[in-house]
Amino acid sequence: MANKSSRRDFVKRSAAVVAGAIVLPQIIPSSAFGRGGRIAPSDRIVIGSIGTGSQGMSNMRDFLELKDAVQFVAVCDVDALRLAKAKQIVDLANKNSDCRTYGDYREFLEKEKLDAVSLALPDHWHGIIYTEAANRKLNVYGEKPICRTIHDGKTIVEAVKKNNIIWQTGSWQRSQPHFRHGAELAVNGRVGKIKYIEVGLPDGNKGIGTPPVMEIPPELNWEMWLGPALKVPYRGVSHWDWRWILDYSGGQLTDWAGHHIDIANWGAGLEHTGPVEISGSGVYPAEGIFNVPVEYDFLCKYANGIEMRVANASRLALGMGTTWHGDLGWIHVDRGNRISASDPKILDEVIGENEIQLYKSDNHWQNFIDCVRSGKPAIAPVEVAYRAISVALLGEIAMTTGQTIKWDPDKEEIIGNPRASRMLSRPYRQPWTLPTV
Amino acid sequence: MIAAGLLTFFSACKNETVYPTLIITGQNNHNWKASSPILKQILDETGLFTAEIMTTPEKGGDMNTFNPDFSKYKLVVLDYNGDSWSDKTNTAFLKYVKDGGGVVVYHAADNSFPAWKEYNEMIGLGGWGNRNQKDGPYVYYKNNVLVTDTAAGPGGSHGKRREFIVKTRITDHPITKGLPARWLHGNDELYSQLRGPAKNMQILATAFADTAAGGGTMRDEPMLMTITYEKGRIFHTAMGHADEGGGPAMQCAGFIVTLQRGAEWAVTGNVTQPVPFDFPTTAGVVLRPDFKEITLEEAFVNIGNYDIAKSTKYLSCIQSQIRSLSGDEEGLQKIEKMMNKVLISKEATVESKKLMLRELSWMGTDYSVPAIKDLISNAELKDEAEFAMARLTK
Repeated sequence: MANKSSRRDFVKRSAAVVAGAIVLPQIIPSSAFGRGGRIAPSDRIVIGSIGTGSQGMSNMRDFLELKDAVQFVAVCDVDALRLAKAKQIVDLANKNSDCRTYGDYREFLEKEKLDAVSLALPDHWHGIIYTEAANRKLNVYGEKPICRTIHDGKTIVEAVKKNNIIWQTGSWQRSQPHFRHGAELAVNGRVGKIKYIEVGLPDGNKGIGTPPVMEIPPELNWEMWLGPALKVPYRGVSHWDWRWILDYSGGQLTDWAGHHIDIANWGAGLEHTGPVEISGSGVYPAEGIFNVPVEYDFLCKYANGIEMRVANASRLALGMGTTWHGDLGWIHVDRGNRISASDPKILDEVIGENEIQLYKSDNHWQNFIDCVRSGKPAIAPVEVAYRAISVALLGEIAMTTGQTIKWDPDKEEIIGNPRASRMLSRPYRQPWTLPTV
Repeated sequence: MIAAGLLTFFSACKNETVYPTLIITGQNNHNWKASSPILKQILDETGLFTAEIMTTPEKGGDMNTFNPDFSKYKLVVLDYNGDSWSDKTNTAFLKYVKDGGGVVVYHAADNSFPAWKEYNEMIGLGGWGNRNQKDGPYVYYKNNVLVTDTAAGPGGSHGKRREFIVKTRITDHPITKGLPARWLHGNDELYSQLRGPAKNMQILATAFADTAAGGGTMRDEPMLMTITYEKGRIFHTAMGHADEGGGPAMQCAGFIVTLQRGAEWAVTGNVTQPVPFDFPTTAGVVLRPDFKEITLEEAFVNIGNYDIAKSTKYLSCIQSQIRSLSGDEEGLQKIEKMMNKVLISKEATVESKKLMLRELSWMGTDYSVPAIKDLISNAELKDEAEFAMARLTK
């Protein structure tokens, strides 16, 4: 049975830990936390991490930087070397050697008594582990894209809602002031009514050819790495480079949907809906095991008349980032604090009290911890993340079939195309199944 | 494994009209004996052209003997960099172009005839042959801005040969429509600092001449150009430096396909050829050692031999065909039947059947269900067969 963690259990547990005389990190005054004063050990959010690759480690460091707001207690990974390194970093931060390690997420979830979990795994694992964590009433910081298929995404959203947990997607651009400013100007009509949006994401797929089968490194549990995906021999490709293989990812398109498409939706009021028609094409490699599209370009039409073009950056005049085009001008935002507009004066506009105020966060990881504590929704909730990745996944289906796809954003179904509809899910390899909510 | 019906079905798109084509060569500082037959093969391969090769007299020979009847041709391909032609031939060529004849200017042909004003207007930009500011500006892109640069200096240079990225600059031109925004070209000379009249010229694609290989200009240099000259259309490719057997510059699918498309545009102003599945991307150079595109029929003949670490190009070909059918039921069913033949074949490898099961999982119909069901009892194929069944019978 799932471990039903609650705030009260958590406080009790922490007290027990103190009584057990386990050495805890020194309490540091936290003004950054926004409450002033000190945070008692019993107020710390107990957190662990599944997935200690590049993004998992990056998130872990961001949580550790919150110092006494969190207590990092356990890590889990299918790669023993990565796991050991993660433990080392946590122990160093905690000034002890107590961080527990797991090679199997099931054991991790069963044994650990957590308030929150940070999840950063290849996309093909998201369906199972995100749903399972929500079912266990753990608050989740989950990496984007939240799902490899629409079906997985719907299940995750349902699990999060039903279990009433706090969810934060790793769409951290939302917590950067210039992205919020751009979106807030757009959503308040500072360039008029939004008609057209352009989203530029990286060109993708680095190409590797067809490498031979290799010996599985002793530190890697390859069977567990594959999990629900179809079994394939190890060919030297696992960490990071999974994003170039369609079994695990849709490439740069799905990797970045949770950033610039998410921001596009935020500034256009499209966060809780989806397109009604999607059409476009991809450019695929001539050969090789890296089979995600190298280039992609598709157009989404929305019921309210807005059109959104999503393409690899080389195809767009403004390259990477999000551009909202209204009938009075445009605003473009991108990483590196880049924000520009058809008329620079637009950027000096102040949003009035009676206008739409977008959610404000200046630290994505702290926002999550704050919300776990307060019970308020985080800045990047699950349904919003699902709507962002849906755009990319529907684009992927349109490109694979070479057809214009009709989508019902309310029923979340493809209309009148059985072939395309099959791509809304990927069956899991036995014995793995998507948990029921 | 070939289904005769499918052969007919997919061959139906071949063009009926064939354009008589003249390839002129015979003098060149490049290996014209290697390049000219390859140019002919590349053009003939499309079914749109029947090319013949005509050689001029050798260097210093009597050019009065070189009198092609241009009126017989719809396309003239220039693989020539040598002595001036006779006035009579120049006049005839000029008339051919003015009257609407198509021309392809290939690689070092843009070195030729530095003193022939009309020729330089046809090629737009040229190099070497003492070309300099008197011949026209340098034209290139710098920081994504088109620059016409009248600075003094010689025309024509290239660094060490290397693979380089070609960037499409005009994406809605018939020649470039549907091509990737960027693609990796096989090892070639990256022509730089070309200069010329540049009148009525569009630069379709450029390549960045970095300094890493020496001699770089740090500019995006024109690689593919179109020029109109009165009624004539000229396609100019600066790429394709020939080695014996063509080498990577000519074997590059990107060079081949842009030449084929450019040639068709030069004749008709349009391009009917679909972009092939193996057009290169930035993911890697794609060579066609035999200058041919894989057909769907060949793909199905070969797919049954697929095994781990073999090329996946035959699968890519089939997937591309599925995409381009865009939901056409009849076409998809024919492909489905071909895939089924792989599934039930005794000779086809386990790995090839896995590929087919993955594709059929989404694009198959009830027709495939019996063959897939049979494979569930096969231990090696159980997972893929269940995967396909789960999707097909949902």
